[in-house]
Amino acid sequence: MKLATALLLFAACVFAAEPSTVAVRNARIVTVSGPVIAKGTVVVRNGLIEAVGENVTIPEDAFIVEGEGLTVYPGLIDSLSTVGFANAAASTAAAGGRGGRGAQTAVATAAAPRSMGPEDRPQTTSWESAADEISASDSRIPAVRSAGVTTAATFPTRGIFGGQGSIIDLISGEKPGEMVVVPTIGQYISVGRGGFGGGGGGGGYPGSLMGYIAYVRQVYLDADHYKMAMAAWDKDPRSMERPMYDRALEGVLASKRILLPANREVEIDRMLRFAAELKQPAILYGGHEAYKPEAAELLKKSNMSMLVSLRWPELPRGEIDPDNEPTMRALETIHKAPAAGAALQKAGVKFAFYTDGIDQPRELQRAVKRAIDAGLSREDAIRAMTLTPAEIYGVADRMGSIEKGKIGNLVVTRGDLFDDRAQVLWVIVDGRQYKPETGGQGNGRGPATEQPGNPGGNR
Amino acid sequence: MKRLLLAGLMALAPICAETIVIQNATIMTVTKGTIKNGSVVVRDGKIVEVGEKVMIPEGATKIDAQGQYVIPGIIDCHSHIAGDGGINEGSVSVSSMVNIKDIINPEDIAIYRALAGGVTTANILHGSANSIGGQTIVLKMRWGKDAQSMIFEGAKPGIKFALGENPKRAGNPQGRGANGQQPFARYPATRMGVEDTIREAFNEAKIYKAEWDEYNAKAARGEHPMPPRKDLKLEALKEVLEGNRYVHIHCYRADEILMMIRVADDMGFKVRTFQHVLEGYKVAKEIAAHGAGASTFSDWWSYKMEAFDAIPYNAALMTKAGVVVSLNSDDAELMRHLNSEAGKTMKYGGMTEDQALAMVTLNPAKQLGIDNRVGSIEAGKDADLVIYDKYPLSDFAKVQKVLIDGTVYFDRDKEVSAQAAKDAEKQKLLDKLKQESQQPGNGRGRGRGGN
Amino acid sequence: MKVLGILLGCSLAVFAAGETILIRDADVYPVNGKETKAVSILIQDGKIADIGPKITAPKGTRIVEAKGMRVYPGMIDSGTELGLEEVEAVRETVDVGELGEFMPQLRALSAVNPDSEHFGVVRVNGITSAMTFPSSGGRGGGGFGGGERQLISGQAALIHTDGWTWEEMAIRRCAAMSVMFPSMGGGGRRGGAPDLLEVTPGGAGAAGNARRAYDEQIAKLNDFFENARRYQKAKAAKLPGLQTDLKYEAMIPVLEGKVPVTVSAARPNTIHDAIQWAKKQNVKLVVMQPREIGKAGAELKAENVPVIFGRVLALPSGEDSSYDEAFTLPAEAYKAGVKFAFGTFTNEFVRNIPYQAATAVGFGLPYEEALKAVTINPAQIWGVSDQIGSVEKGKIADLMVTDGDPLEIQTQIKHLYVMGKEVALANKQTRLNDRYSGRN
Repeated sequence: MKLATALLLFAACVFAAEPSTVAVRNARIVTVSGPVIAKGTVVVRNGLIEAVGENVTIPEDAFIVEGEGLTVYPGLIDSLSTVGFANAAASTAAAGGRGGRGAQTAVATAAAPRSMGPEDRPQTTSWESAADEISASDSRIPAVRSAGVTTAATFPTRGIFGGQGSIIDLISGEKPGEMVVVPTIGQYISVGRGGFGGGGGGGGYPGSLMGYIAYVRQVYLDADHYKMAMAAWDKDPRSMERPMYDRALEGVLASKRILLPANREVEIDRMLRFAAELKQPAILYGGHEAYKPEAAELLKKSNMSMLVSLRWPELPRGEIDPDNEPTMRALETIHKAPAAGAALQKAGVKFAFYTDGIDQPRELQRAVKRAIDAGLSREDAIRAMTLTPAEIYGVADRMGSIEKGKIGNLVVTRGDLFDDRAQVLWVIVDGRQYKPETGGQGNGRGPATEQPGNPGGNR
Repeated sequence: MKRLLLAGLMALAPICAETIVIQNATIMTVTKGTIKNGSVVVRDGKIVEVGEKVMIPEGATKIDAQGQYVIPGIIDCHSHIAGDGGINEGSVSVSSMVNIKDIINPEDIAIYRALAGGVTTANILHGSANSIGGQTIVLKMRWGKDAQSMIFEGAKPGIKFALGENPKRAGNPQGRGANGQQPFARYPATRMGVEDTIREAFNEAKIYKAEWDEYNAKAARGEHPMPPRKDLKLEALKEVLEGNRYVHIHCYRADEILMMIRVADDMGFKVRTFQHVLEGYKVAKEIAAHGAGASTFSDWWSYKMEAFDAIPYNAALMTKAGVVVSLNSDDAELMRHLNSEAGKTMKYGGMTEDQALAMVTLNPAKQLGIDNRVGSIEAGKDADLVIYDKYPLSDFAKVQKVLIDGTVYFDRDKEVSAQAAKDAEKQKLLDKLKQESQQPGNGRGRGRGGN
Repeated sequence: MKVLGILLGCSLAVFAAGETILIRDADVYPVNGKETKAVSILIQDGKIADIGPKITAPKGTRIVEAKGMRVYPGMIDSGTELGLEEVEAVRETVDVGELGEFMPQLRALSAVNPDSEHFGVVRVNGITSAMTFPSSGGRGGGGFGGGERQLISGQAALIHTDGWTWEEMAIRRCAAMSVMFPSMGGGGRRGGAPDLLEVTPGGAGAAGNARRAYDEQIAKLNDFFENARRYQKAKAAKLPGLQTDLKYEAMIPVLEGKVPVTVSAARPNTIHDAIQWAKKQNVKLVVMQPREIGKAGAELKAENVPVIFGRVLALPSGEDSSYDEAFTLPAEAYKAGVKFAFGTFTNEFVRNIPYQAATAVGFGLPYEEALKAVTINPAQIWGVSDQIGSVEKGKIADLMVTDGDPLEIQTQIKHLYVMGKEVALANKQTRLNDRYSGRN
């Protein structure tokens, strides 16, 4: 056993041993679901939490992490991510921070014929599922994991209907199937850049925000009709013409919920109404103006959850051109955006954070710390990256807190998580132990998953 | 939703006085003449009394408008403000499925500026890139409210068509597309094609309508047929055929105006308004006979070939031929002085004062089917009122106050006195953010891989 | 000066046989003094020969009864492309915005089409002369795209709005040298500030590039002026073997201070930079289309730099600017003691210049100043105040006879005189009106 442990300690490598038994001893344990255990032990066996408490017997075969002076948290859940798509990393890096959609859409539209209307199902890959596309060799996995993220709600984010996301545990392995916790959790919808003057330029339909919205609306009308037609045909195939198989509609019908983009309060209002009109359970993502009490109120009234991007808006670098000064509205948002967490918490809105491309521990810490500095308690901040995202996706029965029976995803830190000087020492995913790399891959600012909303141009 | 209020400043939130009386003003009612020294009583958002002598209710807030003028709130029949993400779905020539109502941006500063120019209601249209464009909506300029609250309740929805140079421009692309290939040319490329595009779309719409009529008939008989697929694009055109959606048509040349009248006749619907209609004076007879309204510019011309025969007498000539004529802006700047634009019809064409004023009040109200509520100062109508410090049909005048539904949404004195503090507040915030972004390790810096 | 003299002489010669007209019993608003009621004006040989309560007209004088009417100097628009652009969207009709980086030798005057429909249209509302620019509105460098960034666009001309040829229309062939002063960053991009709610990783650094580009452009401009100066000296010294260079020739009147440089400068810092640059180069400056005066006001006044305002009826420059920013600008300039005139910078709107002036009055500019800004001020700024700009004996008879205040929309122009000739107030638009009045 000692030899095995020694080897593990010397490894400092990306790949961990096969799932075994791990125990973190005598640490402070932040369970999230219950009170903090000042000094206790967590045991993970076969990928699940076998025991947690003050007095826990540690099995003989356990790899022991001495937790004296350390803290254990549930593994962080990134509530909206593209981590796990190996191809996405390369092309989104090229697109330079404009989200996975950028480069891929260009490629897609170059190849695809120009869309002449909603019947052409433009920018739609609703049938895709992240679970089918992910790769364990995505180089961002170790980077993100070093920041304490054990789990990602990874979505295909290309186009209007990107496809269904999956909850994946960030283990480095060979078989991507091992990573999948929940294969389908909902349809990712984005409504494009629109732009001044709208479509007609390079691409086909749709080209304007209203075009995107009309398209999504039509798809749901078509889905209802399709369902009806398929059922009727199934019941009595001789009574009617066979309806045409439509994989786009199949994908949409198979999705139990949708994700809609909304940064500004106006967009939150708009998307809440839209979700209600579509009669789809929805989650909004973005949330730059969620700090506004009115926006939080709207979410509360609709009983809708919000995924808040940790990529807080910033002043552009360098000298500001006096002819092109940011507006007061933009300045206010830059100033107050990190208060979104506090505002939503206060209003009683369920919300979770997502890293939006941030993959360096320091960066992640700073981003969450800003939310804490702006009034969100540390406990609530942690919950927003653990149990709450689990609740939002309906998987709180199996992850998101340190409870017996839940998946063995843990983060062991020296110092309080999200503090400036906190260090992530161990990350345990499905019971596998990983030591974070020093110096990281990536540049601390990976590409954002998607730019929700649109520039708000009006001509 | 409140507009961004800066702490410590005089609140710019609308005064929601229950009862207001505007006194001692020259009141230009539009429909019942001009009252030299009169008052308007407003309660619960409506005009309750107008006259030289009025009964002032107890507790009424008094606005002394001595030496000033009151007109009905200006209605702009053609505007593209307050929309997010582009006002043109120019990828296809028939985009009747898109709807301005989906993209209302109540935070657009253009709303406030229009308000400050006396506009209280605006018809927000899809752009003119398409022969058949998107669905349109009428908004009141209720600055500070949310998107839904801006919508003019009960105003019939509309749709925008476009004729002439704009909808055929994408059919004649210049230069090369991406990768040096031939750029995509979108049908139509000529005025002939524009007519065809519209006819084809209505042909399709008629077939669609027949399917739905058949379905509805069967369902009414108690049968349970499978409903046809609902097609948003054709649905809007079906509504046009059924008279439930107004058609507003951007057009310039006389030949295309006449063409559209004949197409509408053939298809069995009425054009509600021709927009811009700069050569309307040439076919004013036909426009009047069809019963369409005309919404035009006071004196814009020569910016395009099809605007080369535009004349500032257009509004007057069409009016004399019996057309209901309004003046519009189609521009966030022009929107701010429609009062003086109206005055130009007195200069060019000899319109009377009331006729001129009607072009930006009662006439657009009639065109939009909302004249039961707005467009003149009469008891029972909405209290949408503008107070000018001088004779309004002039550029010497400036707006002092604007009321919508009896609430003061714009007050020049308050606005002017608040500006300095606003500027200071902004500078302070900008300095603060700049300072913060320069501090090292403050969480705002950009990571450079690990630390 | 010589050229001008010859020109004037030529035009006078043509009109030596012109009409003698007596405008009788009008209220005269001379602009350079108080108005006088019920006086007459004698027009002879294209000039204002006499003004007075009782004038005996020579035989053959045409009498124009103007009782109850008003006489004003014809209005001057200090920023147009009249004669150089017919239909904005049709490239073939547009002759502003040539290619080339330094093009001082280009003359707007001889590209003016005297039969442009625009002249007839603007005359109807009392505009008798205008500055026409080779690149008004900052569309130099091959306006429709193509070519490098233009720094000197050419010679703007001051012209009458009536005449058989551009030669006859010319008041000053080269009234200004149009220079595109470099500006930092977006320089008045439409749509305003970028939406900062979009994350812009590594976005600016653009600002750093803007600074560098600006410095480069200034350096180029200064080099060109330097070379022009050397040429000027060489020519004065009659150096043998000096070859005529048309570009540098065109620069000489500018270097001699006879022709001002016009420069678009929207913000106080750009205005300041432009003023300092002009001082260094020892040239006269006119600032065009400022959007903000602010602290530049004192410097403009101290350095005697006049300003031409673009359309007063314009949107504020930024979302947070005061809603009446553009409306109050002329009043602000007036309070700062800055001399200014108005320009519309779009042919289509030239006829509305009096209403631009009226708007400024509505927002604080004294009425007399507004009237001066479309009459005597531009005459002074463009160096022709001895010829036009006021109703004074000896000046060219550019006059409008109105039934009221010309800044008021409902006022009609009853008679218009350009160079002492009565100009018919018909134009393409009145003709279409007449024609179609008969149809409906």
